[in-house]
Amino acid sequence: MMMTKTTKGALRLMTALAFTTGMSTAVLAEEITSLAILTPETGTDFGWNQQGIDGAVAAGEALGVEVIVAENLGYGDVRPTLRELAEEEPGLIVAHASGYNTAAPEIGAEAGVKVAIVDSPSALTEGSVVDYTASGHEGAYLAGVLAAKMTRSGTVGIVTSGEPPSWNSQSAAFAEGVKATNPELVIRYAVIGPAAYSDAAGGKRVTESLIAAGADIIFGQGNGSSFGMLQAVETTPAADGGKVMFIDVIGDKTPIDKGYLLSSVLWNLTPVYEAMIEDIRADKFGTRNYGINLEDGSVALLKSPHIPEDIWGEVMAVKDQIVSGEVVVEPHFDAESVHALVTGE
Amino acid sequence: MTLFTDTFLIALIAGIAAAGVPLLLAGLGEQLSEKAGVLNVGIEGMMLGGAYLGFYIAWATESTGLGFLGGILGGLLVSSLMVLFCVRMGLNQIVIGIALTLGAEGATALLHHVQFSRLYPRLSDVATWRIPGLADIPIIGPALFDREPVVYLAVALVPILVYVYRRTHLGLAVQAAGDKPAALDSAGQNVLAIRSFAVLACGGMVGLGGAFMSIVGAGVFVPFMTHGNGFIGIVLAMLARGRPLWVLFGAVLFGACLSAATALQVAGVAIPTDVVQMLPFVAVMLVLLIAGRNAKLPAALGAAYVRGER
Repeated sequence: MMMTKTTKGALRLMTALAFTTGMSTAVLAEEITSLAILTPETGTDFGWNQQGIDGAVAAGEALGVEVIVAENLGYGDVRPTLRELAEEEPGLIVAHASGYNTAAPEIGAEAGVKVAIVDSPSALTEGSVVDYTASGHEGAYLAGVLAAKMTRSGTVGIVTSGEPPSWNSQSAAFAEGVKATNPELVIRYAVIGPAAYSDAAGGKRVTESLIAAGADIIFGQGNGSSFGMLQAVETTPAADGGKVMFIDVIGDKTPIDKGYLLSSVLWNLTPVYEAMIEDIRADKFGTRNYGINLEDGSVALLKSPHIPEDIWGEVMAVKDQIVSGEVVVEPHFDAESVHALVTGE
Repeated sequence: MTLFTDTFLIALIAGIAAAGVPLLLAGLGEQLSEKAGVLNVGIEGMMLGGAYLGFYIAWATESTGLGFLGGILGGLLVSSLMVLFCVRMGLNQIVIGIALTLGAEGATALLHHVQFSRLYPRLSDVATWRIPGLADIPIIGPALFDREPVVYLAVALVPILVYVYRRTHLGLAVQAAGDKPAALDSAGQNVLAIRSFAVLACGGMVGLGGAFMSIVGAGVFVPFMTHGNGFIGIVLAMLARGRPLWVLFGAVLFGACLSAATALQVAGVAIPTDVVQMLPFVAVMLVLLIAGRNAKLPAALGAAYVRGER
């Protein structure tokens, strides 16, 4: 105890001396030695949770930051867990679920810990809160182009587990990619529920309805619910009796694919977390939000063996156009834009 | 392309059964428990227990029949804790119910993490029973009369429970355990045994509903997959006020509204999604509130029974 008090006293004295001797802010820039990440489901879902945890761990390893993982916390109130983590005094808490974006800033302010949240760009607060509404809309546009080139029935489907900004921007971009490639195609769109991220049964039920409505390619966005969507395409034939193919988002389900995974809009969140750590070290935290894009490789489209080479080549040509700025894909984060694009209004 | 084809309508009606059966089993189970005086808030946990164990056994044995039995067992295991803490030890039913749900969520998520999180095994289609004649009715036939046996069992439980409640000593004893447990005790019946039976039977039914959800509804188990269906089952039971037929009506209405919500979205109807998705909840609450406004809940509901105490 004495040692601790002595050490704290010495630190306070050194800090005071540093100020009085006019040391530069660069020297005083905050050090970050640990960060904590909270996820609603386990980091083995081949999707949102896994990419979040893997990205944080990779960023931590690259920049010498210890990563504390609190996973599988569900979609309820995580304030007790946030308080426990805050007691560990991490340099940053990453609240990796849109459902946490009220509680995390609240506990962050209470405990004096910096927080990163998702789907809430307006929450940006200098020195304390940042947002990373990671949107793979550019990748989703490519997925739309791919779907348009590969559909046999002329109908493609979009199933989502909710309408958070990230899902909306990808749904909208997918629809734009489809329409830009072939305006005659029909897009069917359905949401499983208000926040049905783990509703696998709902995912299967809604996907089966879209397949019955003629869709032979499903663009699915969900966490646990995406396994229900996958199950639906594996067990329900298309109207012509052939296979229905699935385009996933965020992660790569290739290891568990039974031959129905056409592609995935892959996210790599490592650069996002690295940028946050670097901004903390440069005393710039809270001055900007973060995102992902095709150009730096943080968004990519998965190439599966089910995609013919010529079609893949055409899709990659569109990718080059996006990267060069020739084709601009604007993100639309609101549900109304998605509905308008899907219905063609 | 025409949207409302036979195939699309069959899928929508089949969706009513897929969404409604777990709710029906949960509502009937909760109703039985409530009739005996036990407010079983833990049925979400029982449903998760049934979903996990049912899926695990179906996957491990490659037998969906054994999987459904496993679902009943999963529900029984969780409900046995409810019996121990609430019926036998007389602890607060709401607190224990919430604790059981949270515990089941954590336990099944952990088991999933250990067993399935690298593989995410999915089951193949479950065999159906085709009812001759009825299955040939256009659209409705293939959607409702060529279904998994659990669908028929769930619907058959409605008249069975009506008969039990109205015509048998067991039904009378269950309702007495919820209305006037002291009188039942005076008549020489064991109140705690009857309440224990009701809670266990509730767990079995709810567990079967969970297994239906994981084996038939999703074909896969994922953490938290019951997604509040147990709580909706409690609402159905509370609003149906003791009448099994109203639980069936509520479950069908809820499933129908879910399918209608999907149909409206697929058709591109310009209504905000949140409004469309409120339909099932609003419709069920409105109808059952109107229908059940004169009914009463058991007098001793939620109260632990201790012999000699008033």
